[in-house]
Amino acid sequence: MFGAFRPTNPLSGGLLWKIPWRLSKFQKARQRKRLRAVDSLVATLDKALTKQSITTKAVERWKEEMPIEQEMVPKDKYTIFDRKEKKYRKSIRKLPKWTRVSQRVNPPGY
Amino acid sequence: MSYFRITLTRSGIGMPKRTQGVLKALGLRHRMTTVFYPVTPEVAGQIMRVKELVTVQEVDKPLTKSEVRAERRPDPGFYLESAAPRG
Repeated sequence: MFGAFRPTNPLSGGLLWKIPWRLSKFQKARQRKRLRAVDSLVATLDKALTKQSITTKAVERWKEEMPIEQEMVPKDKYTIFDRKEKKYRKSIRKLPKWTRVSQRVNPPGY
Repeated sequence: MSYFRITLTRSGIGMPKRTQGVLKALGLRHRMTTVFYPVTPEVAGQIMRVKELVTVQEVDKPLTKSEVRAERRPDPGFYLESAAPRG
């Protein structure tokens, strides 16, 4: 009756997953905040390194390849490419550890 | 000479071994730990590896452990007046 393995609808077979596909507006706001936090960290690193006229490959590559939060389209902020999904997109929350990893670019055209 | 002030704000639990190893190498064992390192390309590369987990500031000189602790200590809300000299 109770406990971790109680026979709830999602667990007793069948395809019943009540996980909302979309993020709520608060989750989206926090997602943007996390993106901006990474942007500001990279900016801090870049500023500190250029003061001493040092260039680092990791920082340069990130600046070159990754868009900042304001440049990203909402589709890329909240969804991720998946070839098995209908319309090739799934919610970014399906990405393991999605609040602690960077996932910014997707295949062009999708 | 400037320094990076690095604070671990998100835990490294469940992250890949390489990421957890970088945190260990930086001396970040627990959340809200603060460490200071000079601004070098090596340290910058390490920070880039864990950029989602830490917050970084550039500071002029490193603080000691007790100074960092004193910063976090909340205002007690009272102060002790000096005792009047007794006759």
